[in-house]
Amino acid sequence: MKLKALMQKEFRRFFRDPKLIVTLVLPGILIYFIYSLMGGLIWDAGASDYTYNVLVYGSSPAVEAVFEGSLGESLTLTRTEDLEDGKAQVQAGSITALVAFSEDFDNAVGSYDPMSGTPAPQVEIYYRSADEASASFYSAATALLAAYEGTISNAFDVNLGGGQYDFSSTSEVVMAILGGLLPFLVVTLIFSSCMSITLESVAGEKERGTLATILVTSVRRTDIALGKVLPLSCIAALGALSSFLGIALSMPKLMGLELGGVFVEHAFGDYLLLLALIVSIVPLIVSAMTAISTYAKSVKEASSYTGVIMIVVMVLSLVSTFLSGIGDWVAAVPVLGTVVAVQRILEGGVVLLVGLIAIAVNLAFTALFIFVTARMLGSERIMFGK
Amino acid sequence: METTETPIVRAEGLKKTFTLSQKQQKLEKTAAKRKVAVDDLSFSAYRGEIYGLLGPNGAGKTTTLRILSTLIRPDAGDAFVDGCSVLKEGEKVRDKIGFMTSELKLEGFFTPSYLFDFFGAMHGVEKGALAARKQELFSRFGIDRFAEVKVSDLSTGMLQKVSLVVAIVHDPEVVIFDEPTNGLDVLTAKVVTDFLLELKRMGKSILLSTHIFSLVEKLCDRVGIIIDGKMAAEGTLEELCGGSSLEDKFFEIYDAVKGEAV
Repeated sequence: MKLKALMQKEFRRFFRDPKLIVTLVLPGILIYFIYSLMGGLIWDAGASDYTYNVLVYGSSPAVEAVFEGSLGESLTLTRTEDLEDGKAQVQAGSITALVAFSEDFDNAVGSYDPMSGTPAPQVEIYYRSADEASASFYSAATALLAAYEGTISNAFDVNLGGGQYDFSSTSEVVMAILGGLLPFLVVTLIFSSCMSITLESVAGEKERGTLATILVTSVRRTDIALGKVLPLSCIAALGALSSFLGIALSMPKLMGLELGGVFVEHAFGDYLLLLALIVSIVPLIVSAMTAISTYAKSVKEASSYTGVIMIVVMVLSLVSTFLSGIGDWVAAVPVLGTVVAVQRILEGGVVLLVGLIAIAVNLAFTALFIFVTARMLGSERIMFGK
Repeated sequence: METTETPIVRAEGLKKTFTLSQKQQKLEKTAAKRKVAVDDLSFSAYRGEIYGLLGPNGAGKTTTLRILSTLIRPDAGDAFVDGCSVLKEGEKVRDKIGFMTSELKLEGFFTPSYLFDFFGAMHGVEKGALAARKQELFSRFGIDRFAEVKVSDLSTGMLQKVSLVVAIVHDPEVVIFDEPTNGLDVLTAKVVTDFLLELKRMGKSILLSTHIFSLVEKLCDRVGIIIDGKMAAEGTLEELCGGSSLEDKFFEIYDAVKGEAV
């Protein structure tokens, strides 16, 4: 009954305060929108429907054919005999760009010898970078010209045939990238989610003197520790889930890939293990932070301690991304074991044993931290020392 | 005054020493690394009386009350609340006492009504009994008018009433009160003294610490004078003062103990 009341208090404190709920859900929503927006900007940039009214000074039927072939109907080429007037029109914004070829361009290009020391034939593109259509034409034109230049002195091609060369499926590409990044992101997000909630709830209560009020009741110290760790883990898991969904749903958009099929290729058991790993690391981090917050005299002190731990955890989870071939012993290392197990699941490896050991280690350390917290709650030096 | 011979609170040879940090050494202007806060302290408080621990700041009053409320452990000696040892039966002792000090705060986010229920649950009070007790105490102390207002929105006087009522949610036999009127304005201080007298009428035993003579004279049946962690004198006001004022008697004892005039 006492433990139930302690847990209810934490839930009530959290879910009756709109500000705290916002801090929990907002990161996930923000991550989704920011990543989606970034992906949209990156991948949709070339797809905008610009129309290019371009003046051509001089002549190069070959290059003009390349431009028209690539840019199609969006491009209108108009010939001009007056270079200065053309430049003035670009400056005024009445046309998209001006392409000026040096005299007898195609022939000069064909007979040009780079070893001769004479200047190469020239294409000059006058444009305005502040104008989106103009800048877009400039990027397209320079890319096309570079490709055209490559074909003139072509010695060999790479993968220019029409067949399929990359035999990875889209979902495999997504998983390879997710496998590397997600464990790091998940751990970081869980950590920050736990940090905002736990420090306020434990170190905050200690600093405000409200924890001492509970200590003078007959409730057991272990119940107080459990009454913090269990509800805060649930709340932190919700926060982490929000951020996780934000990333998982926006990641394919960020990488310019469609989501379809990505999440159905893994066996149900893999997802269950993945979920169990994530669920088990939350109480580990919350209980560790509860212990630190109980030890610290203030929220400020607690956040400086957890800041150091966060860096260590982030480095561990990031390092594991670049290490291949770590033995299964890694499962026994808290945090790192979970990160490696999550990584292996996403990469499609067989990881049941590693996963189960990592979960057991997480739970064992959680129990240890709860025990340590309960002991500290009973220590007059820690609870009432100046 | 009516007392029985069995003390409800009994302290036996309590001793408590603290290690001083360098900062504390500087503040106390001492090179000693340890400070004896309570030194072989013994006293008894009886059922139904208000017992006052009187002494200057740093005499060991708060340390003694913290030992009695099981927040800290004595280095030597033991204390008993209604027969339960603070060393061996901490949880039982905490169920028998209501402890009040300005250092114990209530979470501002919650309402008095919720906090009453919460602390009732912490003491294992059964729901039906808790509801009846809430109704009785809230109407007796006028808390029912602001029972659903967040604690952070209450005035100091209202907050003090809520703190007092929450401390006795489990109907303890003994109420321990550290410096009950310290830092309070006159109106809030009166709320507290009236509350203590009301508790006495309800048959509770009260142990309080203070350095205010008038408070002892107004409230206490018996008083123990603590100087440098030791019990310098103990008895009823009549026994101690013998016709003179408590203030005069206190300084007479103080001078005798310290060997110098204040």
